[in-house]
Amino acid sequence: MAMRDLVTGAPSCGETSSSSNPLGALANALIGSSSKTQERLKEIPTSVSTSSNGNFLAGVEEPLVTLPGSEFEHPLQPNIQGSHFLQGFHSVDQNRLSDVWDEIQRPQLPFAHGSPHMANIPLEHARLQPDLNGPPQQVLSSFLHSFVNSSHGGVPFRPASLPLLGLSEGDKQCIRDRSTIMARHFFADKSEDFINGQVNALLSSLEIDNHVRGRGPVPGRYPELEEYWNESLAMKPAPHVADGWINEFSQNRVGHADPNAWVQSFEQQHGANGWATEFEHEQSQLGMIGQMRGANIPNLAAMEQTRMLAHTLAQNSDPKFQNSKFLQFVSKMSRGEISIEENQFKPATISSGDWAAEYEQQHNGGQTWADQFAHEELSREPQGWVNEFSAEREQHGSVNDEWVNEFSKLNVNDDWADEFGRQVAEGAFGETSADGWAEAYDEYMNEQAALKQQSDASRGVYVFSDLNPYVGHPNPLKEGQELFRKGLLSEAVLALEAEVLKNPENAEGWRLLGIAHAENDDDQQAIAAMMRAQEADPANLEVLLSLGVSHTNELEQQAALKYLYSWLSHHPKYGSIAPQEQPISFYHADVARLFTDAAQMAPDDADVHIVLGVLYNLSREYDKAIESFKTALKLKPKDYSLWNKLGATQANSVQSADAILAYQQALDIKPNYVRAWANMGISYANQGMYEDSIRYYVRALAMNPKADNAWQYLRISLSCASRNDMLEACDSRNLDVLQKEFPL
Amino acid sequence: MPVFKTPFNGYSVKFSPFYENQLAVATAQNFGILGNGRVHILQLTPNGPISELAAFDTADGVYDVCWSEAHDSLVIAASGDGSVKLYDLSLPPTNNPIRSFKEHTREVHSVDYNTVRKDSFLSASWDDTVKLWTVDRNASVRTFKEHAYCVYSAAWNPRHADIFASASGDCTTRIWDVREPGSTMILPAHDFEILACDWNKYDDCIIATASVDKSIKVWDVRNYRVPIAVLNGHGYAVRKVRFSPHRASAMVSCSYDMTVCMWDYMVEDALIGRYDHHTEFAVGVDMSVLVEGLLASTGWDELVYVWQHGMDPRAP
Repeated sequence: MAMRDLVTGAPSCGETSSSSNPLGALANALIGSSSKTQERLKEIPTSVSTSSNGNFLAGVEEPLVTLPGSEFEHPLQPNIQGSHFLQGFHSVDQNRLSDVWDEIQRPQLPFAHGSPHMANIPLEHARLQPDLNGPPQQVLSSFLHSFVNSSHGGVPFRPASLPLLGLSEGDKQCIRDRSTIMARHFFADKSEDFINGQVNALLSSLEIDNHVRGRGPVPGRYPELEEYWNESLAMKPAPHVADGWINEFSQNRVGHADPNAWVQSFEQQHGANGWATEFEHEQSQLGMIGQMRGANIPNLAAMEQTRMLAHTLAQNSDPKFQNSKFLQFVSKMSRGEISIEENQFKPATISSGDWAAEYEQQHNGGQTWADQFAHEELSREPQGWVNEFSAEREQHGSVNDEWVNEFSKLNVNDDWADEFGRQVAEGAFGETSADGWAEAYDEYMNEQAALKQQSDASRGVYVFSDLNPYVGHPNPLKEGQELFRKGLLSEAVLALEAEVLKNPENAEGWRLLGIAHAENDDDQQAIAAMMRAQEADPANLEVLLSLGVSHTNELEQQAALKYLYSWLSHHPKYGSIAPQEQPISFYHADVARLFTDAAQMAPDDADVHIVLGVLYNLSREYDKAIESFKTALKLKPKDYSLWNKLGATQANSVQSADAILAYQQALDIKPNYVRAWANMGISYANQGMYEDSIRYYVRALAMNPKADNAWQYLRISLSCASRNDMLEACDSRNLDVLQKEFPL
Repeated sequence: MPVFKTPFNGYSVKFSPFYENQLAVATAQNFGILGNGRVHILQLTPNGPISELAAFDTADGVYDVCWSEAHDSLVIAASGDGSVKLYDLSLPPTNNPIRSFKEHTREVHSVDYNTVRKDSFLSASWDDTVKLWTVDRNASVRTFKEHAYCVYSAAWNPRHADIFASASGDCTTRIWDVREPGSTMILPAHDFEILACDWNKYDDCIIATASVDKSIKVWDVRNYRVPIAVLNGHGYAVRKVRFSPHRASAMVSCSYDMTVCMWDYMVEDALIGRYDHHTEFAVGVDMSVLVEGLLASTGWDELVYVWQHGMDPRAP
């Protein structure tokens, strides 16, 4: 039974629960348990005591086939049983699993075929010292004992000094890691400081450096959050408000003999550390708002990071959840997994506590000030920010108008809001989201995130998708290439995004991402990705060419010329043709002349002809462009994107019938080429064949529902074809209805 | 009631699903912080002491054991060095373990054998992952990596062969279907680390979670916004929770408060029994599938107790 049945309480599920009638069972158990025991005993699984030397391996021939889920990591050999199993799930997820199935061509890992003695598997014999060869056991044992005992009374651990034990590095790490994790269990109701104090007392008396790095990078609770936090701190442009008080209190702290003192005294007063940590967290968030306010940072990457941080935060509305996130964040430092030396974390968090304590002293009442804070600060802050932001927007009036128009088409907001709504509906956020301030805060963060998302993209900043399932994938690049090869562009985009998040300097990842977007008919994102690729690898010819093409599509002549020129000057063969110093502005005629020279130099280089074709598109000399592309196609007949370029050029020069032939060529080579499907629709529409164009648009949209341009084209064609009855389906983006109505 | 003294600190105890008088115990030196480990296979004798059938030494502490559901002589152990070891009781200790599955990069904290299809088992590790294994392959079948902090426990659904739950220090319990690529449900069950989870044996939609916040919560996965029951009574982190194989609403738990508690989550006064026989943290507890009301517990006081519910575990 699938999980969803289990959850929704499908018939089979209800049946099982009713058959067990818990109250009846309880009554049985309480009244006549002895007779029940009798019954039960009959059901004892008779021990299948076949000879035990390895007979449990019987049926080892197909162990994986019988184990659902194994195909996710260990591909199965295609066989009847397996495919039957998979067919069962096609209804659940039509594409994903069949793709997985396609992938199942890799050879199966060899394993022992029912070898009765398992001779080919290395036996591990118990090789161990009866005792640790290092430390004197008795001493260490009683020592650790006193550590554990200290948890009983909650008394601070005051160890006596120990004789030199000679623990190995590995032992020390082991003690450090394990005792910290365990201490967190024992001392759950103590403050984090107390826990750290206990563990540090243990560690320092064992002469273990608490800041020894853990065994490799141990993933913490919210690794991505911390990363952004680290980076945004690292690229902080100038000290801002949040830092002011941090510094101030770090200075104040010098006077304090015991930094834990306030925590303990506070706990005595209030019995819990709840609000203090919550407050710390709010402070940290305010700090982040501070970062946001400095959003004019020239560094695009910084904006990207802060925006994503906002996203991460905005997606959790449960204040307690956020709270414990921060706890874990702090706790990671205690595990030595964050390098404390070179950043301000340690003083920042401790001093925030000091600040809280001081504030508390002035106001004498945790509750009131917390409320006050929630009402005043938080309601004021967002508005202030919004005002500031709108003020900023007005300054950039002209630019803004452009991108506002552009993005009213793109509906970025809606996507995000839908996603958010869906999550809320699923209850992913939990119950406590009812808390007023948390919601208000979230809304504010959402707005902010959405606004930033728009402005970022308009400035050529790459906008990442929310909720990327490929984050954490061991090899997203390979996955992305694979998905791309299969034409699953939207999936490929996600995988490649995961790759470039993991390796921001991977030019190839960015380039593929850009190509995927270009093929998916999203030139803005394509350009943003390609610009990152170019940053990572300024001389990559493919990247430069793609940038030139994408800018040509966006009719940005100067930018297009610049990149096409760079392509030439970086090319090993034609670099010599380009003048030594890069011109300040580019003239189409000059660049075109250079490429004509190049084409004469190497008439067999398809790339030069492609660039020429692009250049002639820029100058709207379509006949010449078509010539160039046709020449290139003679050299590279299998280049589907080249066929598409030819088709697009022909369409632009009002040769739509020819264009359809060219697109058909492209689609024959690559059936999943969304851009060609959409272009095909345009060509039909241009010829007045609206009914046909609709079918192609719908086909393209079925492959990439995010192709916003195609939705617009579809709407126009529907109107022209007098199919106003389907406009609603188009506006609600109901592909099911459209596909049924307009099959291809 | 019989008692068995282990040389190391007890970590886990499990009754054999095949023989009502056999149980496996996982132990670790120095509370599992540093040192060796040992797996004990114990045998109950009628009205007599507990005898040791076999013992297997390991180079690092053993945090959990489970019995194979397919074969009566196989035991799986979770080791602090990140390995999962397979022991065959019918072979001498020198030939054991017959397998060592080494993939986890940190301590393995729990193992659980599939009770429906009986062909595979899970290991939950402090490296934030759960892995799916079969006894006949050296490599894991799948790795479930979504938790953001240590995974302390993973438990198969008793009715559905492909569904299991995992409990993690990231304050969530996740429900998984091994046929699906990711988790099918995320249950933000507690505000503190979750140390254990278990499924109701009579209602396949009911799950219990035990947390550092001292509470046990019972959830219906069809409506997981509010717990069905919150069981308070432990004075420290709750380390393990198990549903009774015989009574739909009965549960047993053990805690760092050194007690073992019996619960009936359906009634108002849910705490129906408390045993404070351990003198150190009680970290392992189990209920016999074959003998109703038979309980076993172990703790850091290096003692394994076996007793009938309602009796005093320390009674001679």
